[in-house]
Amino acid sequence: MLVVVALVAIGFSYLAWRFTRDDPVTYADSEEHFKYGSTGGERESGIPYWIWKVLPKMFPEYLPGKTYTPGTEYASLGFLYEPGNDLPIGVSRRNTQGIDRVFLNCAICHAGSVRGSPQSPRVIYTGMPSNTVDLEAFERFIFACASDQRFNAPRILAEMEGIGAKYDLINRLLLRYYAIPLMRERLLMLKGHFRFGDWEPDAGPGRTDTFNPAKTLLEFPLEKLETRELVGLCDLPSIWLQGPRKEKNIHAHWDGNNSMMEERNKSAAFGTGAFPPTIDLKQMARIEQWLLYKEPPKYPFPISDQLSAQGEKLYAQYCANCHGRNGRDFNGEYVGDIVPIDKIGTDRHRLDSYTEELAAVQNTLYAGYPWRFSHFRKTFGYVNLPLDGVWLRAPYLHNGSVPTLRDLMNPSTERPVVFYRGYDVLDPVKVGFVSDESRFDAEGRSKDERGNPRKYFRFDTQVKLGGETPRDRNEGNSNAGHEGPAYGTMLSSQEKDAIVEYLKTF
Amino acid sequence: MNLQPKIKRLLWVSAIVLVILVALGAFFTWAKFFREEKEVFANEEEHFKYGSLGAEGDRGIPYYLWMVLPRIFPDLMPGPGSYKSFGVVWEEGHEIPVGFSKKVVGFARITNNCAICHTSTYRLTEDEVPHVVVAGPGHTNNAQSMLRFLFKAAHDPRFNSDIIMNEIRLVNANNYGNGGLSFIDRQIYRYLLIPFTKKALLQQEKQFTWMERYVTGGKPKPHWGPGRDDAMNLTKYFMTSMAEDNTFGPTDFPSIWNLGVRSGKDNAGKQMLLNWTGDTPAVRSVLIDSALGLGAPARPWFLQRMADLDQYLSNLPPPKWPFAERNPINQQMASEGQKIYARDCAACHDPRAKFTNKVVPITEIGTDPERMYSWSKDAAAEANRRVKQLGIDRPPMVETQDPYGYVSPPLDGIWLRAPYLHNGSVPTLRDLLNSPTERPQTFHRGYDVFDPVKVGFKEPPPRPTGPTGELTQPYFLFDTTEKGNGNKGHTYGTQLSEQDKETLLEYLKTL
Repeated sequence: MLVVVALVAIGFSYLAWRFTRDDPVTYADSEEHFKYGSTGGERESGIPYWIWKVLPKMFPEYLPGKTYTPGTEYASLGFLYEPGNDLPIGVSRRNTQGIDRVFLNCAICHAGSVRGSPQSPRVIYTGMPSNTVDLEAFERFIFACASDQRFNAPRILAEMEGIGAKYDLINRLLLRYYAIPLMRERLLMLKGHFRFGDWEPDAGPGRTDTFNPAKTLLEFPLEKLETRELVGLCDLPSIWLQGPRKEKNIHAHWDGNNSMMEERNKSAAFGTGAFPPTIDLKQMARIEQWLLYKEPPKYPFPISDQLSAQGEKLYAQYCANCHGRNGRDFNGEYVGDIVPIDKIGTDRHRLDSYTEELAAVQNTLYAGYPWRFSHFRKTFGYVNLPLDGVWLRAPYLHNGSVPTLRDLMNPSTERPVVFYRGYDVLDPVKVGFVSDESRFDAEGRSKDERGNPRKYFRFDTQVKLGGETPRDRNEGNSNAGHEGPAYGTMLSSQEKDAIVEYLKTF
Repeated sequence: MNLQPKIKRLLWVSAIVLVILVALGAFFTWAKFFREEKEVFANEEEHFKYGSLGAEGDRGIPYYLWMVLPRIFPDLMPGPGSYKSFGVVWEEGHEIPVGFSKKVVGFARITNNCAICHTSTYRLTEDEVPHVVVAGPGHTNNAQSMLRFLFKAAHDPRFNSDIIMNEIRLVNANNYGNGGLSFIDRQIYRYLLIPFTKKALLQQEKQFTWMERYVTGGKPKPHWGPGRDDAMNLTKYFMTSMAEDNTFGPTDFPSIWNLGVRSGKDNAGKQMLLNWTGDTPAVRSVLIDSALGLGAPARPWFLQRMADLDQYLSNLPPPKWPFAERNPINQQMASEGQKIYARDCAACHDPRAKFTNKVVPITEIGTDPERMYSWSKDAAAEANRRVKQLGIDRPPMVETQDPYGYVSPPLDGIWLRAPYLHNGSVPTLRDLLNSPTERPQTFHRGYDVFDPVKVGFKEPPPRPTGPTGELTQPYFLFDTTEKGNGNKGHTYGTQLSEQDKETLLEYLKTL
């Protein structure tokens, strides 16, 4: 009798230990931690590791590359793989409840890749806006998998074990009868939530719709949203030097809707699947600390001192008041201020996608915790941001509609109407990434790299007439604005070159 | 009986253990269900906006349940924005909207207070953050819509612990050490609070059947619409439990600033009356009866709170015309207008004047009589009796006669009290100066963009909605041909010349 009780107690304890297991993979080095560390997203939203590995094998037709490449399965989505890591940058791993699971972290949107030329090796920079990751394509991929009738527990289990997964009996049963069906349910729920993506143009690499997902998290009735708030696409931002930004009380997010760094971080963490009860505050704090003083890398090509000096004077006259003295000194009368939309004249869709209603209900996020959100505000313009590391932040303007700095110096009528996003080779003349239409073929492949199978994203800035939805009309990608005498677009070509040269020093 | 020492000891130990368990149980029950946390507010204004009236025991909804209801039932919401879509005012950075209080009585509970119906917002364009004015008419608040939502939700099969806890689990839960609802707290929600609230809402719905009853002729009662409620019927059916009748007396939520000017005796020593049909002689009584209507319990604390509110509201100055920069008042025109006002309006609208805060017989004023029909001296007598039973001593409602007309109030802050007349059937002051046939037959309520020329709120434009851009009008269509909504009467000043109307209007902006 006592033996039975003892056995039950031991069995129970083992199960309790196993199902309360919560072991993230951690990294001592801060840079590694940023790239691969966990925000806690796996706890609630985690995909079992082996499912992550096997989906591209089972459903290659849903990937842009249409092929399965073991080891770099998600590369055609722009995910970055480093040698020695079998998960790409931006994907973390944690054992929760006895199963290894993965999900996204900050680096998926805030780390990018850069090459000096098509032949150069790739350099990864953390803290820069991702220039290659097509988050929307990833979402579409995973939703397509979940909708496919081949996404069922017995088949997935078999396929996972076919590529090397070894699950013990308990995990097999758990996956077979609970976790995989639950995952399908959740993915289909998310797919429904993300239907707004069909109503706006494609995001493309390096862009996302920031705040319409926030509305779905709060279960706003999407069909009742005003049409003008449906396009929320914007460029991913850099996140270096948060400390100086804090000091200047800079309003951040493109429309300046939140001036508190810690809230923005937690708000973004929802994107990594981290909810108030599940966010890993300790790991987040590590990243927050690191970002306070993380500097952007230096421009890797030679800079002409003479031209740059000329540019410095022009910059001081035309740009410094709104953007700060230079890439490190953020002093300036209007730095961090919100410029009314009529004044800045850029595309207003991103501004309109953030609403009073959303700002109000965001006050309930993290309710019951000391860090309840209370700094979100509805604004009516876009923010003047500091330009630290601006050479890595292409394309430009809030919606990423201007490919290079030199293009931004021109009035919108002279800016490229169509260009390509997602390519990571630097353009040292115009400053940005190689994006000119002429460098890509009809399928979006680079003409400079015959062996590169990647198809890059054709970005069209023009609104189309007719059509039912903002997507049909290609709304939100306009490259107008930030132009006129005060913005230097009337200067001579040589003067514009000088300013761009100076910006390389940031 | 001589028990063995061993058994005696066992009994003693059991008794002590039992007592300890009962004590622990009592403490647990008190801590989880009754322990009150005192509210602290920076000032009277914050207290007015977010303070509790003590109604948690009667009407409190558990905080996290309240928070996630709009997320569980998005299809039952009028639009995006959680409770904001019902037109309640939600200040920047605040956890809950104005007019809501979050008070811990064991667990955090949400109830409403005066501010939900008595706080205004205005702005000059949609591209501005609305200005909040405390004690103003709650012209955007669609209280009936919110009530109906709660009842619909309570009937819905999705209102169950499984679905609701699935949502709450992601909002606040201490399952990974971040703090928040403990395991026990979550079980209390799951097994007690959620089922109990569902029952309570269904119970409360029974008290509102009169709201959904049909009027004669088989037509459903018109909606209250934003900024209005069926004031005296609410009082009648809640406070007196009199039999349902067919009356429907929709009433605009009034401003409640500067109440001192309506209390007591006028310049000639005559008693002034409040409420649209002159039902009450004292501010204190109106406050008490309204608060009781919100579920406030009649405890000693309650009377102190009413005294404090009386003090605050009686002395709260009305808001002055705020558009000095973009739409300043033409002072010269205003002083011309004052002459017209003194001649044609002052006798009924000047504070403490001869006819101010007195009943104007319906035959004279000619406005919609439904509100008048909805109250009676019998109802007043019954209400007085009930309040006395609760142990509250307050100046009694008028029992001597049935309502026979409407009271003319002072016009303090009149610029922000649109729409006009007791039933809010005339959208702007300029429209009120037109004869009834020229006043708008229909218009939209609930929009807070202000018209500084006509003085009132603008007509909201329909807007492209959803992915296909269908033009939709999300605001409430007010139809003056519906029962209770008539916009006739108060034809004073409608015969003035255009010029005179403009100057009079300019003066009214200064009040």
